[in-house]
Formats: sequence, structure tokens, C-alpha cells
Amino acid sequence: MLRKIRVLGVAVAALGLAACGGTDSPTAKVATTNQRGTLVDNPALRVASLNQADFTAQLNATASGQQLLALAGTPACGVDFYYIKYWTVGTGPQPAPATMVSGALMVPTGSAPQCSGSRPIVLYAHGTTTDSTYNIADIADTSNAANSESALIAAVFAAQGYIVVAPNYAGYDISNLGYHPYLNGVQNSEDMIDALAAARTALLSTFTPGTTDSGKLYVTGYSEGGYVAMATVKAMQAAGEVVTAAAPSSGPYALEAFGDAIFFGQVNIGSTIFAPLTTTSYQKAYGNVYTQTSDVYSSTYASGIDTLLPSATSLATLFQNGKLPQTALFNSTTPTSSTGNAVLDAAANQLLAKPSSPPYSASEAALFDTGFGSSYLVNDKYRVGYVDDAVINPDQAEMTLIGGGTLNSSNVALAATSPDANGLRQDFKLNDMRGGWAPQEPMLLCGGDQDPTVFFQNTQIMAAEWSPYVQGGLVSVLDLNAAPVAGSPFAPLQVALQQTEAQLVAANGAAAVQSYHTTEAPFCMVAARGFFAKVP
Amino acid sequence: MQKKIVTLGVGAALALAASGAFADQAGPNDFRLGMYFVHYEAQADDISGPYAPAGLNVHVDNVETLYVAYVRSLSSHFNVELAFGYPPLTKTEGRGPAKLGSVPYNGQVISTARWVAPTLLVEYVFGSPSSRLRPYVGVGVNYTKFVARQSTAAGNAASGGPTSISLPASVGPAATAGLSYEVNDRWHVYASYSVAQVNSKLTANTAGILRTSEVHFWPNTLVVSAGYSF
Repeated sequence: MLRKIRVLGVAVAALGLAACGGTDSPTAKVATTNQRGTLVDNPALRVASLNQADFTAQLNATASGQQLLALAGTPACGVDFYYIKYWTVGTGPQPAPATMVSGALMVPTGSAPQCSGSRPIVLYAHGTTTDSTYNIADIADTSNAANSESALIAAVFAAQGYIVVAPNYAGYDISNLGYHPYLNGVQNSEDMIDALAAARTALLSTFTPGTTDSGKLYVTGYSEGGYVAMATVKAMQAAGEVVTAAAPSSGPYALEAFGDAIFFGQVNIGSTIFAPLTTTSYQKAYGNVYTQTSDVYSSTYASGIDTLLPSATSLATLFQNGKLPQTALFNSTTPTSSTGNAVLDAAANQLLAKPSSPPYSASEAALFDTGFGSSYLVNDKYRVGYVDDAVINPDQAEMTLIGGGTLNSSNVALAATSPDANGLRQDFKLNDMRGGWAPQEPMLLCGGDQDPTVFFQNTQIMAAEWSPYVQGGLVSVLDLNAAPVAGSPFAPLQVALQQTEAQLVAANGAAAVQSYHTTEAPFCMVAARGFFAKVP
Repeated sequence: MQKKIVTLGVGAALALAASGAFADQAGPNDFRLGMYFVHYEAQADDISGPYAPAGLNVHVDNVETLYVAYVRSLSSHFNVELAFGYPPLTKTEGRGPAKLGSVPYNGQVISTARWVAPTLLVEYVFGSPSSRLRPYVGVGVNYTKFVARQSTAAGNAASGGPTSISLPASVGPAATAGLSYEVNDRWHVYASYSVAQVNSKLTANTAGILRTSEVHFWPNTLVVSAGYSF
């Protein structure tokens, strides 16, 4: 009898456990608001954790990784890569719609003193990409287009003790915006500021909660990211937030002048990609670029170009399928202006003709020539209209450069008011970094005067506009292609970059110039790190 | 009363067993207690989902647990058995790369869960009721519910953060073969071997990122038990 009761006791205990079910482990909390800067999943997902030895080994496993190690130095820290999802806003009529986007938070790890505790943050803006799946957090997936840029900033910054925050941008990865607000200074800076806010939230719940934000904030980026970085500094200053130092690099800051240069025939490498990204962005934001895409684009490419980029389809396939011409932005049979105003037409026709040598060097003229072809992207009428507008409402800086003059603080300013007839020029002016502000904290403008993609004139125009600050030492300019100045802390980088480019020319001939823009990126980032270290 | 036993759940059946304990003679009820030795023939698809490298798999560790069963004799040759074990803590180990980045994976206990797995079997008992040694075979249905599904610290590190695990309940066939030995009128000892099929889809949710794997278990259980008839 007693035995029976004991037996039953066990059975009842078993049943009791079955009934209560025990507890399941929880996952991250999901944000219930879509306010700007809100981290969606908290804690954020750590997509990879590489200790110092494993990260070093991973870089050493490839030739490009070895080059990066040589340039960036051996990692002092390991790096934990977190994927952050957060809320920002798109563009268009205000209030702009909330949109969920993503990015990376890289946290240094390890026992070296600079790898834990209170650490500075580098807010990094990536360069132009056509790949809609771009995810800079995904260090583990070498097939992701962002993989090399992820490794670059991890090696240069995170592995040396900086916390890195890098948005993927609206229009990429999980963002369902459907386009990218390319070179939209307001939206781009909002995305950066929101990524920073979300990352600061995520930082509180990482696998290494002892690694915290020191409050020092450095902002940098390359190419499109150079522009985004500068726009972010401008926006944060306007909001009264302190940026410790910034290093926008090789960005298209002086957009109106740069746009004019391209329409004047100085066609840059990558122009057939930049054009649709830009027109789609501005059309979505301001609605003033075209009524229909064929207003801007040739009939060969007009259909569907407004939804073409960014795309999950590779650029090579897009070219192959005839969605975009590889290099021919304009008609090789150059059009002429026929407004009836002889003075205007004469000036415009001079600018519409193919650039030749002289005044351009033979290599420059050859480079620009690749921007013209028989199967071209931008139609003749649109190009003529743009150039006519640029003659009637000139950009002083570009006209100074075209005329062979020297830029200075009195000839680079944007016209205060300019009744640009061309919508794209209005939008360039709206998003141009010139006018009404200057950095309040140290800024390094890195680039290379041989850059065929984002012309160095962008940096030169900003430097001229800010010449009192350059003279005062607040703004520094680094031209990686210039002759190294003995004693300059950047001289070794200039020497190394020029050696690298010389090797490229030796291997690939004149075509090597086409890759100068991407070749210079890691050198500018290492320069930025050196610059930041001097502004503690 | 008979009908009630068939239709009521486990708890009620055991309550009836308790009331039966007041009877003086051995009746058609048999209450068994013993040990389950569970060997998981588990086969899982490689884990698929974002940020999951190829070749990630899992292995389910074998367990031992308490076996409890209520058996009702329907006739001299047919029994109905309702068996279940004390929900065992089952550990799942990572199988695949030694490390994910720098995080250990292969051989790490990445998750644990308890099983509540009642099995209802209809058994045919061979031989004469007067035989001391009687073999039996049975077929039936296994219901498996997973509770207390926990991702371990090692699992969270491999997954990239706090992780919830979903393993939906499974209903599948079960079969058994065993031998009973009559010690005396009231007491028997049993040894049996049972198999069941359990299919479930493991979904790990880490910060909204879902990784999944179809898991097929064929738990092979060896049971050694003693039964008291009343």
C-alpha cells in the first residue's frame, strides 16, 4: 500500500512537469515604434566573432587581405560583427515615410588595452554600389558585394580599437524603399545619425557589455560615402552635436560643378551607373527631373531605368542584357545647341564638343572619350538643355576650372539664387556641400588628383571655399597623387599609393587609371585613422 | 468505467489506478515503473537561414529517464498501454565546423529541451495467460511535445545572441516488442524495445533572424520495468 502511494507520487510529479511545460529561452525584443534611430531587434544579432588571431589569419589567406594587413597593420583586437536593423526615413513629400534599414556595428574584442572599455566610435559611410543586397555586416559571406569593404573598415578601424558603425543605406539589404536616396544630403545624414543612435542602443547589450562608447565620434567615408560623411558632419553640427573629427574622402561634394563637368564632356568612370542612381533619387525626392524617363534617357535605355538600380542582378549581367551601356553616357555624334541666341549657342557648342587634347592631356582626353558612344545613355536633347542652363546660370567654380583659372574663396561659391531651368541642376545645387557652413572641428579631405571617377576638383572646390580654415589648420587636404612632402605624416601613404598605382600601370597599362578610385580607398582610410589619432 | 479509462487522459487513468489500489485481487490494471534508455537516431537537415554557413548540423545526445506506464488488459491476449517517461532533458550538440568564426561549434551543447512523449500502444501478448514468460508486440501512436526549449550560452554565442527555439509537437507511429515475466500473482518484470518516429522543424530565432532544420528522430528505447497488477 505504502509502495503504491510512493509510485503514484512519482507519476504525479512527472505529470506536474508535463503540465507546467517549463520555460523556453527568449529571443531579442522587437521595437514597437518606428521612430527614427530605433533599434528593431535588441540585442542585435552578432553575425560573426573573429578573435585577433582568426581575423589576422583570415586576412592572410588572400592576396588582397595581405595587402590590407600590410597597409592597415596587424590587428590589435578581435572584432565582433553585429547586424543592426533600425528605423530611418526615406525622401519625398514631408513627412518622409519611415523605412526600416540595416547596417553594421563592429566592436573590438580582446585583451589588449585598446580593445575594451571606453572606446571611440567611427561612423563610416560606404561607397556607391549597385548591389541591392549590400550588407556591410556580413564579413562571413565572401560572396556579398560588401565583404571587402567590411574587411577594410574592420581591419583599419575596429581591429585597432575603434567601435565602427556603418549603415547599409536606405534602398539596400532589408530596406524596401525601392530606390536609394543617392547623394541626397538630408536623407543620407539622417540615415547615418539614425544608425549611430541604433548602434549606441545595441552597444549596451553586446556579448562584451564592458566595451562602451567613449563619446568621441569620428565620421568618415569614401566616394559616395565621402559625400555622406560630409553631409553628416554638416547635419550634426547644425543640430548642435559634436563630431570630434571627420575625414570625408574622394566624395562628390561640389555636386553642381561636378555635374556640369560631366555634362561638358568630362565623363567620369562609372557615369552610366551614377546617372540612373542620381536621377531616380532626385525624381523620388523632388519630382523635378523628368516627366518620363525618356525625357532624360535615350530610347534604348529609358524603359525601366527608374527602377533598375540598385539591383540584385550583377552589373556585368545588366550590361550584357543591354540594360545599361558600360561607358557611353553621351552620343559620340555630339549634338549642338540651337536656341537662336548666337552667344549662348556658341558657348554651349564649345562645351558640347568632345574634350580634346589640348587643353586636356592625351590620357584625360582618351578617358573622357570612353564616355561617348553610338549606344549612349543620355539623350541629345537633355544634354543640350542641361548645358544651355549651365551656360545661362553658370557654376562659378566649374567655369573657373574650364577656363583654366585658379580656384579661390571668391570664385567657388554657389550662386545664392540661381533660376536653374534644369531640374537636375537645381537638385545638384540643393545637395551641393558648398554654402552656409564650415567644419567646426578638424576635418581631413583625402583624395587623389588622378581620380577618374570622382574628380579631385570636388575636394579642391571645398578647400577653396574653406581656405581660411585650411590656412588655419582646421581643414587639411591630402592629395595622395601629389609629390610627398618630407616630414608630412602622410608622406609614407603617398609613397605607398603611388608605388601601388605604378605597379598597376606596369601590369595593365593606361587602363590601370580606371581603377585608381577604388585603389585609393584603403589609403584614405588609413590616413583618416592617423588623422583621428591626432584629435583625441 | 471501462469506457472512461479509454477516453480519459493520462492523469485520470492514473487516478483510477489509485482507486484500483484498494481492490484486494489482481485485476486488469497494471502499473509499471522502470527505466527508459533512449537512443536518438536523429537525422537533421543542415541548418539553413541567414548567416548560417553550409554544413551546420546537430546531434541529439542519448538520455536515460524514468519510465511510467499504465496497462489495461482487454482480454487474455490484448493490452492497451499508455507509456510515458519523466520528461528527459535532452541535449543537442553542434555538428560541423569546429568553430564559427572564433566561436566553438562542433561538440558544443547548443540547446536543451524536455520531451513530454506519451505513447499509446495496443499490444498482442503471446502464449497462455498461465505462462510465466510471455512475449508481446504492439503498435500505436506517439505524441511528442517539446518543452523548456533553451538555447545554451554556447548556443547563443554560436547563434549570435539570445535565441528562442521552436520545435512543434509531433504525432507519429510507434511500435514495441517485449517480454513479460511473472514473478507472482501481483508482480511482473518487463523488458521491451520500442521505436517511434518523431518529426519536427527546429526554428531558432535570434534577433528576428530565423534558422531552420527539419529534424527526424527515431527514438529507440530500451525499457526495463516492474509492474504491479490490481
